[in-house]
Amino acid sequence: MKIWSIVVLIGLLFSGCADKTSYVKVVDPSVSRNISIENILDRVNVESHLKELQVMGVSNSNEYMLLRYRVVWYDKDGFEIKAIGENWIDLPVYKNADFTIHIIAPSKNATDYRLFINKKD
Amino acid sequence: MKTVVKITLSGLLTAGLMSGCAPKTERIDMNNDNGAQVMGLDYRDFNEAASKAVQSMLMSGALDKKNGDRYILAISRVSNDTMQHIDTDQLIKKIRVELLKSGKVVVTTAVGANGAEDKMSMDARKLRENDEFNQNTVQKKGTLVAPDMSLSGKILQRNVAMDDGKQQVEYYFMLSLTEIKTGLAWWEGETVIGKRGSGKSVSW
Repeated sequence: MKIWSIVVLIGLLFSGCADKTSYVKVVDPSVSRNISIENILDRVNVESHLKELQVMGVSNSNEYMLLRYRVVWYDKDGFEIKAIGENWIDLPVYKNADFTIHIIAPSKNATDYRLFINKKD
Repeated sequence: MKTVVKITLSGLLTAGLMSGCAPKTERIDMNNDNGAQVMGLDYRDFNEAASKAVQSMLMSGALDKKNGDRYILAISRVSNDTMQHIDTDQLIKKIRVELLKSGKVVVTTAVGANGAEDKMSMDARKLRENDEFNQNTVQKKGTLVAPDMSLSGKILQRNVAMDDGKQQVEYYFMLSLTEIKTGLAWWEGETVIGKRGSGKSVSW
């Protein structure tokens, strides 16, 4: 029983580590109270060989919100790939409705991403 | 004596006030600029339009060449139909840089709507049969690469007077990617940026 617990614990630790390279983060607590991220999909497009990322979320707020997001891409060695998509991009979120962010990597070398969602000042 | 003191004091006071009123120059944080919007177009608008155009182009698949090769892209005419003095390169350069980074496209500077962007490709060929140059280092005939695709477009402005005396200015960034072989537009994109402000503000 003890051995099984240790195996499960190690497994959980490893799965936790795997998520560290790419992630989606809601930066401001006031925003994270009003939205929730439901699904994160990524794939390498077979035609373009560029990585695509789709983040689906839902608003729990009774008001329209203008949020913004930015994505930072990294190559397989963990080096950042500079791109215009690093600038904040407006994200309209309608009250009590789903929203989707769909982006494509700036280069074939982009393997990992970090997406930040924040309120628009 | 009293008059001299009075004049000196008022002079100092005026100078003090003047220096206090002079607006302080600040450097803009280009990554997080929360400065007030202007009715005209600024770099934030160009960034947004370029970013959206590049994302749309890459997602469309129009730049996916077989075998993973790159297309040769020529920059055609991008006209400025706004009331502002805009160098359309402000938009196109950002798009070019991003497309080049994507590995899908190489831009030719030897062919353009108004002639070659870099005339050196042709000028350097004039060195043929010039005895002063080692002819083995001069480019041979038939080495320039012709473009497969052409990027053209227009930036348009539309002013609308509102009932409440305000003014609405709409900017349309319209771009087309044409396959030169067939003349067919494989991708087209439009980004609209709208601004609303005082009717007295001038948008040019």
